[in-house]
Amino acid sequence: MFHHIKNKIYHVEILPPKQDSEKLEKDLETFSVKYERVRESGYCACITDNAMGLLAFQGTEMIEELELPVEPEQVMIHLNTFHTKEDLDNILDTCKAKGIKYLLIITGDGSDRLPKLQPSDIGAKGVESVTSVELLKYIGEEYPDQFILGVAFNPYEPEDHEFEKMERKMKAGATFIITQPLIEKNEVVDKLLAKYPDIPVIVEAWMSKKLHLLSEAVGYEIPEDTAFDPIETLKMLHRLYPGCGIYLSLLGFKTQYDLINDTWK
Amino acid sequence: MKIVVCIKQVPATNDAKIDPETKRIVREGMKAILNPFDTYAVEEAVQLRDRFGGEVISLSMGPPKAEASLRETISVGVNRGILLSDRAFGGSDTWATSYALAKAIEKIGDVDLVICGKQAIDGDTAQVGPGIAAHLDWLQATYVMAVEDATGNSIKVKRMHEDGYDICELPLPAVITVVKDINTPRIPSLKGRMASQKSEIPVWKPDDIGADTSKIGLDGSPTRVVKTQPPPPRHTSTKVIEGTSQECAASLLRELRLRSIV
Repeated sequence: MFHHIKNKIYHVEILPPKQDSEKLEKDLETFSVKYERVRESGYCACITDNAMGLLAFQGTEMIEELELPVEPEQVMIHLNTFHTKEDLDNILDTCKAKGIKYLLIITGDGSDRLPKLQPSDIGAKGVESVTSVELLKYIGEEYPDQFILGVAFNPYEPEDHEFEKMERKMKAGATFIITQPLIEKNEVVDKLLAKYPDIPVIVEAWMSKKLHLLSEAVGYEIPEDTAFDPIETLKMLHRLYPGCGIYLSLLGFKTQYDLINDTWK
Repeated sequence: MKIVVCIKQVPATNDAKIDPETKRIVREGMKAILNPFDTYAVEEAVQLRDRFGGEVISLSMGPPKAEASLRETISVGVNRGILLSDRAFGGSDTWATSYALAKAIEKIGDVDLVICGKQAIDGDTAQVGPGIAAHLDWLQATYVMAVEDATGNSIKVKRMHEDGYDICELPLPAVITVVKDINTPRIPSLKGRMASQKSEIPVWKPDDIGADTSKIGLDGSPTRVVKTQPPPPRHTSTKVIEGTSQECAASLLRELRLRSIV
C-alpha cells in the first residue's frame, strides 16, 4: 500500500446502486462510468458494502455482472460483518477469482434487513459478536496470503478504546489503515502515525459540501449552513499529512473530478 | 411441490395516514415495500423448493404498482409472480381478500402448500392466511417457526406459542403462516434483480379467477371500520442509578425484578 502513496494514487469511493433503486439500469451505467474513470485515471476504486446500513448491491457482483476489468492495484472492496456465511464466502471467492487483493475490513452498520455473521459461522471463540477483528482472523486463516487487509480508524471515538481496538486489528492481520473523514489537523491521527510508523495510513477527505452530514461521525453538531470547501480542505490534508494516502469519499464526479488532478503535488 | 406464497405491498412507514372518510390507509404518494413478514414466507418457500423440488409462485392482490413487490420475490428465487389487480378488488377487507386469493390459488391448480407471513405491518390483522385456508377448506398452521419435514403427502411444522411450541403434522394441501424466527431472508443479488425485471407478471381480474363479484371489494367485505385513532403515547421515564459498579448492578437487578423483567 505504501506504493499507492508514493505514486500518488487516490482512493476514490464508489457506492454501488441501492437495492431499492427504481432506476437500476441508469444507476448501473453511472457506476460503470465512475469505475472506468477511476481506472483510467490510475486511481484505486473503493467499493462500499451496504454503507450506513442501506441495502446496496455488492461490489463483487457489480464487477462480475457488468464485466468490469480488474487491475489488482486499482480496486478495493469494503467488507463488513453483515452477511450470511454463504454470502461472505461468495464475496471472498469472487475477489480471489477476479484478482482483487485489497479489502477494507470493517464491522459495519447493520439494519433490520441485513443478516449478521455469528461467531460460530467463522469459528470465532470467546466473543459474543463478530467484529472486524474476528473477520480479519477468519480471512487470514481461510485465505492465507491472498489478500491485503486494511481496517478503519475513528479518531472521534474515545482514544484509549480506539487504540486498544487498533492493536487487536493489527494482531489479527491488518496491514493498512483508513481513517474517518478529517477536516483539519487531528491530534489523535498524529498519535496513530507516531504509533504505527511502518503501517500505511490513508486519511479520508470529505468531498461533499454538506459538512453537517459529518455531525454524527465527529460526535458534535455541525450547523447546516457551515461553509466548506472540499478541494481546499483536500489540499490542506496533503500539506498536513504528506506521508499519508488520501481516500476521497462522496467525490462529485461531474464537478470535482477534474479538479483533483492537480491537488497531489 | 407447488408452493404459492401470498405477499402484500405495504406503505414503507410506521406513520401511515388514515383517510378520515373511509377510515382506510391512504396509499397514494407513499413509498411502498414488500411486507417485511412476507420476506420470511418467500424465503421459506424458496428453501422448501430447493430441498424438495417443484415451483414457487408469488401471488398478490393490489394496485398495478404491487407488481414491484412481486418482482422483488422473483429476484430472491421465486419462479414466477401473479398479480390480482382490478378496481373491483378495491376496498376488500381480509375476508374478501382471502376469498380472491383462494380463487386465484384454485385457478393456479395442483397447489400443495400456501405460505403467508404471519401478518401485514399495515393492517396487523393476521387474518388473511387463515382466511385463505377457510375459503379453500384446507388445514392450516399459524405462527410456524420451522418446517421440519415436507416429504410425502404431509408437512410437519413447529408452531410457536407463548409457552413454547407445538409440533403439528398436516396433510397436504395446507396453509401455513410463518414468523420471523423461521429463517433469515436472503438479500436479492444483482443477477436476480436483473432477471426479475425481465419476468412477465400476468395480471388477473375477477373474471380470470371466476370470482363472484359480490364477494370482493367493498360490497363483499363484512368489516366496517367505525372509528380509528392512534394509540395513546407511551409514558416513559428515566431513572439514573448511581454508585459503584457493584452497587449499580445490584440496583439495576432489583429494579428489573420489581418489574418482573427478570
